[in-house]
Amino acid sequence: MPTVTIDGRPYVARDGDTILAVARRLGVWIPTLCHHEALEPYAACRVCLVEIERRGWWQVVTSCNYPIRGDLNVRVNSERAVRARQGVMKLLLARSPESAELRELARRMGVESTPYPKVTESQRNCILCGLCVRVCSERIGAAAISLAGRGVERAVAAPFRMPSEDCIGCGACAEVCPVGTIVVREHADEVEISPFKSRARLRRCASCGRPVGSERVREVLASRGGPTLVEILSREPLCESCRRKRLAAELTRSARSGAGMA
Amino acid sequence: MTTVATRLESPQALEEYRERLRALRKSDARRVRVCMGTGCTAKGAPRVLARFRQAAEDSGGGEVVETKCTGCHGFCERGPIVVVDPGNIFYQGVKEEDVADIWRETVLQGRPVERLLYKDDATGGLARTPEEIPFYRAQRRVVLALNGLVDPKSIDDYIAAGGYAGLAKALTTMKPDEIIEIVTRSGLRGRGGGGFPTGRKWRSCRDAHGEPKYVIANGDEGDPGAFMDRSLMEGTPHAVIEGMIIGGYAVGSSHGYIYVRNEYPMAVEHLSLAIRQARELGLLGEGILGTTHSFDIKINRGAGAFVCGESTALMASLEGRVGEPRAKYVHTVESGVWGKPSLLNNVETWANVPAIIVKGAEWFASMGTQGSKGTKIFSLVGKVKNSGLVEVPMGVTLRQMIFEIGGGIREGKRFKAVQTGGPSGGCIPEEFLDTPVDFDELTKLGSMMGSGGMIVMDEDTCMVGVAKYFLEFLRDESCGKCTPCREGIAQMLEVLTRISKGEGRDGDIAVLEELGALLKDAALCALGTSAPNPVLSTVKYFREEYEAHIREKRCPAKQCPGLFRYEIDPAACKACGVCRKKCPVQAISGERKKPHVIDQSKCTNCGTCFQVCAFSAVKKV
Repeated sequence: MPTVTIDGRPYVARDGDTILAVARRLGVWIPTLCHHEALEPYAACRVCLVEIERRGWWQVVTSCNYPIRGDLNVRVNSERAVRARQGVMKLLLARSPESAELRELARRMGVESTPYPKVTESQRNCILCGLCVRVCSERIGAAAISLAGRGVERAVAAPFRMPSEDCIGCGACAEVCPVGTIVVREHADEVEISPFKSRARLRRCASCGRPVGSERVREVLASRGGPTLVEILSREPLCESCRRKRLAAELTRSARSGAGMA
Repeated sequence: MTTVATRLESPQALEEYRERLRALRKSDARRVRVCMGTGCTAKGAPRVLARFRQAAEDSGGGEVVETKCTGCHGFCERGPIVVVDPGNIFYQGVKEEDVADIWRETVLQGRPVERLLYKDDATGGLARTPEEIPFYRAQRRVVLALNGLVDPKSIDDYIAAGGYAGLAKALTTMKPDEIIEIVTRSGLRGRGGGGFPTGRKWRSCRDAHGEPKYVIANGDEGDPGAFMDRSLMEGTPHAVIEGMIIGGYAVGSSHGYIYVRNEYPMAVEHLSLAIRQARELGLLGEGILGTTHSFDIKINRGAGAFVCGESTALMASLEGRVGEPRAKYVHTVESGVWGKPSLLNNVETWANVPAIIVKGAEWFASMGTQGSKGTKIFSLVGKVKNSGLVEVPMGVTLRQMIFEIGGGIREGKRFKAVQTGGPSGGCIPEEFLDTPVDFDELTKLGSMMGSGGMIVMDEDTCMVGVAKYFLEFLRDESCGKCTPCREGIAQMLEVLTRISKGEGRDGDIAVLEELGALLKDAALCALGTSAPNPVLSTVKYFREEYEAHIREKRCPAKQCPGLFRYEIDPAACKACGVCRKKCPVQAISGERKKPHVIDQSKCTNCGTCFQVCAFSAVKKV
């Protein structure tokens, strides 16, 4: 079992852990933007940089994907590591100065403002962390969006910047977006994932008529099998409050008759 | 092209085949070799070759004459190049209409055509053979040895010249570990830019767990002005292939890929043909030369992204994904293409391997410096007299490269800097011209060996402009995945653009240095970490030029528009009126026989007057 020492504190890690995972277990805060527990590490935003010791030299690495394969000495809050993280954040702030979420994280990292002008265009504060793209392909399996263009032209887009038929309208992309670039809009009978213009048929609460979500999400979930009562209930066209009521009713009924939950 | 379409079932069969080929080639045969490298082809070599072929046909076959095309001879400045044997008589700047003279005098009578020989400007002497030309004298052509000799489309030519002997030796007399040991002892380091010890890389790949293993040649040369790998793939494709088969045997791989840019159509064509010919002879495929080693190669054409020269981006592209780099905390020798152990070397590295096997590690290590062995190919370009493809032993000084081989600076101008290592290399000033060229020395100067680009700049080159040019290239070629590279290069470029427009501010240099340091620490791949080099090296060595732009709003090299003025020298002006008529904004006035004057309040610095003045009376001040 390798020992990882973070800012002087030793911790026994598991082989294959990342520095970030160990730091979190130790309660050491490292900022992240493009990282998500449910997704493969991407190491693109670079706000999680830390310093490690290799063969007597200190080098800067991304903590989110640096694998632990032996004893390792890590500095999270060294001058160089902090400077690197802050430098990256200043660049991101210059790109998306309007983002309240980004400014909040910057403040927590000790960055009050950026000295740099805005030189790259971002779509609604998008910082190109790629979480939306990865959740769509790795978790939802739809791969309806991807990163298009190179360098400063890079942007998240559906193919040919046209509404995508692969989009099931689940809204996972909006859910993981750290800066609110992606918005789920509900129309009369459709749900739209903006800015990709993709639309899916909207389900409404059978009881109160409020919007529930995309019809295709139910189809996709159904095709994946193995439902439980709670899951079945969640697939009914019910808004949150109606679902709660129904669940409560079902639970009461099953408890009375002694039937199981599953 | 193959004379005997037969599979070579053993090393003996290869040797017998070689002897048969050699016997067919009379040593006193007259041969015309026309360079069909990219430069010569662009200058009309195919038409020259056609004329020679026509002449051979017209002569009725009475003379034993062989006309063949070869790969790049290197002296691109003086192309098209034609060499006639016997005598190794070297002609330069050959045009279609010169073919008749060469045929009549040299081919038929063995006499040189003096007006087509190279003339040494310094001594006035004529050079008959390449050895007498200063451009070639300081060179040592090991990897390029066959480039000007063999027809790249003929495997027979390559075999007759000794080709595939290294493969035969490796497969039949050496164990994989011995091969790795020899490559390690030779001191060969990666020629693509990183300079990683090749033997160590092979060892890691051999020891890595996972099947199958892949062997890959990186032919995605993307540096502006560089054509080393291109010339090698076009001129001696079999050397790359032979090296790869040996590498496959050494690490235990049967699958090879050559990743070559699609912008190199001749390289793709010659490599494809070479692979087909090698398969026909049983040098690729199942049971090579009757042994148990099997190996085959597929060509993967790159779509032209500079970043795909980076190993992990190349592998992503090879898999059919977007060519973007990933962190290399787990090396590609362990987990590369499709997560399998992958041995990636540059094509020049591969082409070094056969000779190392044939001649031994000691022979290779006898060339070069302490830390950098062997030779290196450079493309010498820019404001140098003899631009072209140059191969020298490691350790030759920059001064030798530029002034002996390169013949010095064009038009009698002063040398200012040389940029080594491609777009993310650094600019090295005059005071370091005696630095030996090797991996470690160039890195110490804030530049790098890179894959061998060498761009020479003269006194008229603005170093802020140079930094800006390379950063524009890198901004366009950055994949945009990581924040520091995508945003940082764009920020540095914003500062440089302002400086070059005379809008620089105090503190701009510090901002450039700060961003440069950030990119070096924080960027994901080598494109980003090395991108600041052109800026940081010019700031380091030409700081006063930056300061002149920022503080005095003056471009000392008089290149940045608006940071210098055009004035007419009254003593030189002949009052011809051409500048007055051509000026698009009527800023120039003057009567007949009186010196003309530029009205600075109207002038837009377009430079038209400077270009049209036949008397050099318009000056930049």
